[in-house]
Amino acid sequence: MRLVFLLTFLFASAAYSSGNDSANSPSPAQTKIARLEESIAKSPANARLYNQLALAFCSRARETADPVFYDRAGAALRKSLELEPSNFEAAKIHVWALLGKHEFQEARDEAERLRKRAPDDVLVYGYLVDANVELGDYKAAEEAAQWMLDLRPGNVPGLTRAAYLRELFGDLEGAIQFMSQAYERTPPQEREDLAWISTQLGHLYLSAGQVESAEQALQQALQHFPDYHYALGQLAKVRKAQTKFDEAVSLERRRYALAPHPENLYQLAEALMQAQRPEEARRLFATFEKQALAEMEKSDNSNRELIFHFARRNPRKALEIARWELKRRQDVYTLDAYAWALYCGGKRAEARRQMKEALAVGIKDPEVVKRATIINRGL
Amino acid sequence: MMKGFTLKVAAAASVLLLSAIHANASNHREAPITALDHKADITDLYAFVSYGPDQAPNTPPSKVTIILCVDPLLDPANGPTFFPFDPDVRYEIKIDNDHDAEEDVVFQFRFKTEYRLPAVFTALAGFGDQGANAPGTGNLVVPPRINSFESLGLNQRQTYTAVMITGRRAIELENADGSPLFVVPGNAGPRTMDYEALFASGTYNLENGISVFAGTTDDPFWIDLGAAFDTANFRTLGSGVPGVLTASEDQAKQNFASDTVSGFAVNAIAIEVPIELLTSTGQVEPADSPAATIGIWGTTSRRQETVRRSPSPPRSSGPYRQVQRIGNPLINELIIGIGSKDRFSMDRPQRDSQFAEFFLDPPIVRIVEALYGGALNVPAAPRTDLLPLVNYAPPIAAPGTPAGPVADLLRLNTGVPATPPGAINRLGLLGGDPAGFPNGRRLEDDVVDIVLRAGVGGALAASFPEFNPDVNGRLGDGVNVNDADYRTQFPYLASCPEGRNRRHIDPGEPGGGPVD
Repeated sequence: MRLVFLLTFLFASAAYSSGNDSANSPSPAQTKIARLEESIAKSPANARLYNQLALAFCSRARETADPVFYDRAGAALRKSLELEPSNFEAAKIHVWALLGKHEFQEARDEAERLRKRAPDDVLVYGYLVDANVELGDYKAAEEAAQWMLDLRPGNVPGLTRAAYLRELFGDLEGAIQFMSQAYERTPPQEREDLAWISTQLGHLYLSAGQVESAEQALQQALQHFPDYHYALGQLAKVRKAQTKFDEAVSLERRRYALAPHPENLYQLAEALMQAQRPEEARRLFATFEKQALAEMEKSDNSNRELIFHFARRNPRKALEIARWELKRRQDVYTLDAYAWALYCGGKRAEARRQMKEALAVGIKDPEVVKRATIINRGL
Repeated sequence: MMKGFTLKVAAAASVLLLSAIHANASNHREAPITALDHKADITDLYAFVSYGPDQAPNTPPSKVTIILCVDPLLDPANGPTFFPFDPDVRYEIKIDNDHDAEEDVVFQFRFKTEYRLPAVFTALAGFGDQGANAPGTGNLVVPPRINSFESLGLNQRQTYTAVMITGRRAIELENADGSPLFVVPGNAGPRTMDYEALFASGTYNLENGISVFAGTTDDPFWIDLGAAFDTANFRTLGSGVPGVLTASEDQAKQNFASDTVSGFAVNAIAIEVPIELLTSTGQVEPADSPAATIGIWGTTSRRQETVRRSPSPPRSSGPYRQVQRIGNPLINELIIGIGSKDRFSMDRPQRDSQFAEFFLDPPIVRIVEALYGGALNVPAAPRTDLLPLVNYAPPIAAPGTPAGPVADLLRLNTGVPATPPGAINRLGLLGGDPAGFPNGRRLEDDVVDIVLRAGVGGALAASFPEFNPDVNGRLGDGVNVNDADYRTQFPYLASCPEGRNRRHIDPGEPGGGPVD
């Protein structure tokens, strides 16, 4: 449940960030759920209330990292649709939940149906961008993002998505430009949004080799939202770039404590390796392997990290996971991981072919570029 | 990590937009996006075979006039900047002459603004022959009354370029002496200006037999807008049935309800073009020739911000992006669903098959049927009788004309002679006048009544069994004529009402019809 972890901190403070149901004060989502359930008891035929309840359950899923809340959101949506079968809002929240569960193909199909129903809805194009980016159809993603920019020039969700596409297409400067515009257009009370955008800026500056600007953007993110775990993860990368490996470990450790997902555990173990603490790293890699393998066949998984984890240790296993993942999606990061697994498994010509396909999108991510160089040189 | 980033885009952006709600559309402000962008908002498109004040019946056609109106419901009194065209908008009139719904001839208009007296508080200022001086110093404070484009009081002055594009060839349409094309400004009032003099000198006859005009004029549209958008709450007139006219009301050249657009101005671009410059054969075609019928639409575009930047130099704002378009009147207002209006506005007519269900089963028809509670029968869907509006088909196009894709174009058979001004029937084709809407659209065509009758009457084809000529055939808003007299030669538009003395005729006033 990556997204659950990704968004744990949207509304939650550290007090209940780790799924602590027994916290004394209810979380914002819990408060909302209680209030909506009360309202529904009074007006049981109001579809809109069920939509709001579904949204609140999605928020609760983020707060607790517990996927059961997505199921509850699904139940609320079913009820809403039962009351009002052509209820557009419910259909939209459903797509959001599908993306949250990494059901990208289904999300894309559903979003496409919604687009035909209401071609003016900017957010539906946003879902199309998200699903297509994940599936690796960048042409469709770009077309949908362009519609977002055209339909509502300067809209923040359109700008952030277009920025991400620019990054994938290798235009970091353009991506920073759009992401900065998104920052300027976000209302000051939207602290989490501002923190999120600042984190993206930090990531972009770092990718562009502007370590100082990255540091500033990430400190800004942490001012907007203290202990923001995305920002902690990015700041750890900045520390690595500054060769402050111990500090990177501390940041990754804090991040994992706040968002205990296998993917984050992998990053922590990697940081420990770089900090010359192999013993603890090995222990954590073992835990990661166990956890990630357990969710390997789920749509929401840590397969990318798992592929890199196995590439040197067990190339056959890495390739098996990469092929499984490639059946679901052909995005540049999956192609990159697949190419790496091929390379480590000795299939170098095919590795080079796959990597070439990934790079054709335009991506200049330093880690991908580094692997591409190794793959090409290795021949 | 990167995978995570993607999803963060998805999720955080979702949160930002989940609370977004759509604005409602209204007439003259069809789509939510154009409701926010007045300057790029197209109100109406007209296209007809040109006629003169002494037009004889059956005179062979020679020129076509096309008028594109933008920037709705301008109150002529609304200074100090009045109503300049937007220099950032590209205004275009497009013509398909080979029935594929793609443009073959394009007329492109772009505007420039200059401020000549930056310290003066208003765009238009004038007083008497000599102006007015400061009593103490004798310095000129108010410039003389504006009577030409060189008058100093025309403080905010606009010029424009008109370009004709055919294939890869672009020709700038210029005055023979190379002097600029000026925009006729709004009409502040009689002290300030001689609007009529500017109107006359702002009507240009250029090379190739083309004439152009751009400026603020009377809004040539007329409608009981208030009734139409109070969920079709039309007034009860002589028939006793709301929205149904008596035979004599139907024939009368007067209004029985208020013209909500009365006293309002609009920005108009008009062009008159020899027919041979528009047809695919390069000549005037007879009405029974498939090549005689052309499809026309108007667009406004702004520079777009693109996902991909052009490589060198890197710039976000690349090509122009269409903001709005118009072909047939009232399509976006009345036919296209609220959730599709923006996409419709911004898409190309060639891709209109995606909206075919709106054309062939217009929701507005069911709404009118429901509102009349059984007193009015409507034809069954699919409404193939409406196809001549979105395909090249008789009775507009000659038999044998390729239908082309479903596309919202204003179709004009350029071979049909113009009807002399005195004989024009406001109901166009429905009223037996072959030179009227939906064969093109003249200023005099009552598109509201025509669309109502075509929509619920199936009047474009053989009528359906339950058609009641006294109900289906007499639907109307009670507004039959414009509040101002049109000119009887190019550019045909009436003058902008004087800002000082403009009058909007309301329900209950003389000439405004009843309130109920």
